[in-house]
Amino acid sequence: MLAYIVRRLLIAVPTILLLIVASFFLMHFAPGGPFTSERPLPPAVLANIEARYGLDQPLWKQLWDYLYNIVVHFDFGPSFKFKDRDVNDIIAQGFPISLTYGSLSFLVATSVGVSLGIAAAIKHNSWIDYFAVGLGIAAQALPNFIMGPILILTFTLWLGWLPGGGWNGGQWPYLIMPVIALATSYMGSIARITRSSMLEVLNSNFIRTARAKGLPTRTVIWRHALKPTLLPVVSYLGPVFVYVLTGSVFVDIYFSTGGLGQAYVGSALSRDYAVLLGVTILYGVLTVLVNLLTDLAYAWFDPKIRY
Amino acid sequence: MNKHIRTTLAGLLTSTMITGAALAAGTHPETGEALADDQTFTYRILDEHSSVDPQVVEDVSGAEIVRDLFEGLMNQDEDGNLVPGVATEFTTNDTKDVYTFTLRDDAKWSNGDPVTAGDFVFAWKRAVDPALSSPYAWFMELMSIENAAEIIAGDKPVDELGVTAIDDHTLEVKLSAPLPYFAQMTTHSTTFPAPQKVIEEFGDAWTKPENIVSNGAYVLTEHLPQERSVRERNEMYWDNDNTIVDKVVALVINDENVALTRYLAGELDRTEVPAGQFPRLQKEHPEEAISFPRLCNYYYTFNLSDGGPEAFKDPNVRQALSLAVDRKIITENIMAGGQPQAYTFAPEATAGFTVPEVEMASMSQQERDELAKELLAAAGYGPDNPLSFEMVYNTSEAHKKVAVALSQMWKQKLGVNAELANMEWKIFLEERGNQNFDLARGAWCGDYNEASTFLDLLQSDSGYNDGKYNNAKVDELLAQAKTSDDAAPLYTEVERIIAQETPVIPIYHYAGVYMMDSDVGNWPVNNVEQNWYSKNLYKIAE
Repeated sequence: MLAYIVRRLLIAVPTILLLIVASFFLMHFAPGGPFTSERPLPPAVLANIEARYGLDQPLWKQLWDYLYNIVVHFDFGPSFKFKDRDVNDIIAQGFPISLTYGSLSFLVATSVGVSLGIAAAIKHNSWIDYFAVGLGIAAQALPNFIMGPILILTFTLWLGWLPGGGWNGGQWPYLIMPVIALATSYMGSIARITRSSMLEVLNSNFIRTARAKGLPTRTVIWRHALKPTLLPVVSYLGPVFVYVLTGSVFVDIYFSTGGLGQAYVGSALSRDYAVLLGVTILYGVLTVLVNLLTDLAYAWFDPKIRY
Repeated sequence: MNKHIRTTLAGLLTSTMITGAALAAGTHPETGEALADDQTFTYRILDEHSSVDPQVVEDVSGAEIVRDLFEGLMNQDEDGNLVPGVATEFTTNDTKDVYTFTLRDDAKWSNGDPVTAGDFVFAWKRAVDPALSSPYAWFMELMSIENAAEIIAGDKPVDELGVTAIDDHTLEVKLSAPLPYFAQMTTHSTTFPAPQKVIEEFGDAWTKPENIVSNGAYVLTEHLPQERSVRERNEMYWDNDNTIVDKVVALVINDENVALTRYLAGELDRTEVPAGQFPRLQKEHPEEAISFPRLCNYYYTFNLSDGGPEAFKDPNVRQALSLAVDRKIITENIMAGGQPQAYTFAPEATAGFTVPEVEMASMSQQERDELAKELLAAAGYGPDNPLSFEMVYNTSEAHKKVAVALSQMWKQKLGVNAELANMEWKIFLEERGNQNFDLARGAWCGDYNEASTFLDLLQSDSGYNDGKYNNAKVDELLAQAKTSDDAAPLYTEVERIIAQETPVIPIYHYAGVYMMDSDVGNWPVNNVEQNWYSKNLYKIAE
């Protein structure tokens, strides 16, 4: 197991390196640069700025300096757009916010989704089932960019219960709408996957055996059916976890949370090279780590899998 | 809470209010309106501002904050006229190339230090210093300050900039060319003073709320990037006694529809009205939906460079396309926010600018369409030989609607095939700047309130002249205007030539279209540059 983890982490190093190099060149080949603006800068001013940020160096040199600063100083470079902050500042400010409402959304989506799915499967073809399936499908059809405006109109404008945006250090009234908006559609998918997986498990031989030997339903469900049911759910949850942490740009835009998603998209549009690369690396590392965790979780859920 | 503590607290509160903010919770000294107890002004900004460093800031929302935090030599009043700022007066010599400003002796930084001429010298040298590489260094060049261009290019040392502190309260500026409107340009944030000690102590981090020292009516007290920026009354400000608004909060809300919802829910005092929604909002909230002219234009530019389409080299073709644009449909049905129709490049609202009698403006749309057909036929285009070109704009719903309307008008009236292409902003700028287009969208907001800020775009060697329009007469007139005491007739003449030759198709001039809470007093709707100062605003009691 430990050897497996070490091996996976060692493979991650060239993967991330490849990601950095590919992103670096793609970014520089995109037309326009960080200082392309509607008021084109006079050549002398542009030259001063490029010299200041080392953009006048050949690309390979820039890439080398960039990697060197990361490895030696853990410095991901300056922001070209926000002069008083560097990439480390931007990530330190935005990532905790994304992490907070992302993890909460993940918890809500998983707990509600799995519960709904299990309830629906156990009470197959009852009103509970129909309700859960209906809710799941409806939720799945409501991605966060649809949920955002619906929630704001309902809870801010009509009912006046919740503030329409902002973060305020993550106080709960500011958290509710972003979490619901982000969690809803994933919750729907998780409910559906859980339900169909549970139905399949409940029809399998080992469950029939468990029932036949007279175990109470509760024990059958919790001790025998749950773990195999969750196997396909877990394989879905891995990527979902990365998505909720990273794909929150709509939530950031609608609720002005100050999260990293907005900074990421903004940096791509303004060609803020170092910010774009820094966040890409963060997302890359997260993806690698979460994939590893997912694979390890498989082993726990399915005894047939051994590393 | 026992009675004793309560009384003490009440006493403390009262005394703080008397000494700190004598005017809040009273009546306005001039208008007599009852003032609200809570003097907080909250408004929406579209995007996180680039910086609050006066010499570095490059975006409109950042400049708005900087105008509150710092005060330059001159300010603008509600109508955009020059009023004293840190300088109480200025004089200039006969040739208008030396300006001398007298600074008030009661101006202070928020740490209590006096504001001196040396602070301006430091700031202005900083703005042109290649080491800072300010994206607004060009503004100092535009102000024609002696040696600015050479210093920016690295050919001369920073110390040779033509600005001197004669003493603590006298600032002398030498210009490389006479500039009649130089004093107007000192209302721009790039020219605001900077606190040398603080900058040297904290470096780039000097603008963080815990470090910043400023000389304006407000100090920065909180900054949560991508979320909010808060500024509060500066007790050290020389005119603090006349400042009414205590606190100004800028909330970053990227989506304009969300901002409108939050405005309607009472979270904001001001927000922008999304395109097309003004008529409905005006009906529902007549007191709050406001529209006023602004100093910006919206146009399409022909590519007149050697690589541009042959067809556009014929002025008849260009004029035909301009004539066939029904500006009324675009301003009233698409934008619908009170935008004025444009037949000239510089907006009518520009100070000291007389709109020339442009023939097209006085014609009916039907007459224009008739003439357009004739001109296009004369140029050799018709049903057998239709004119085709590509028109590019940067990706945006509103730009798309305008582009679709234009292409439809040209198709129906003239049988012209205009193919639409949208591009992401930076790609669009790159392509337009390299003349890789046939017809491209353009828009320009004045850097100062004078027609040259617009018309200079059509000067043959201007870096902003993306259409590469080249007319020796226009160049000559614009050069004359730089030193002329009365440039208005020259600008009118330039507009007349532009109307004849049509290097651009002016579509409309911008309007500021806002939802503004009716308890916000004194918003400067007549300041076409929208240079507003929170210190001049007040909140009326409901």
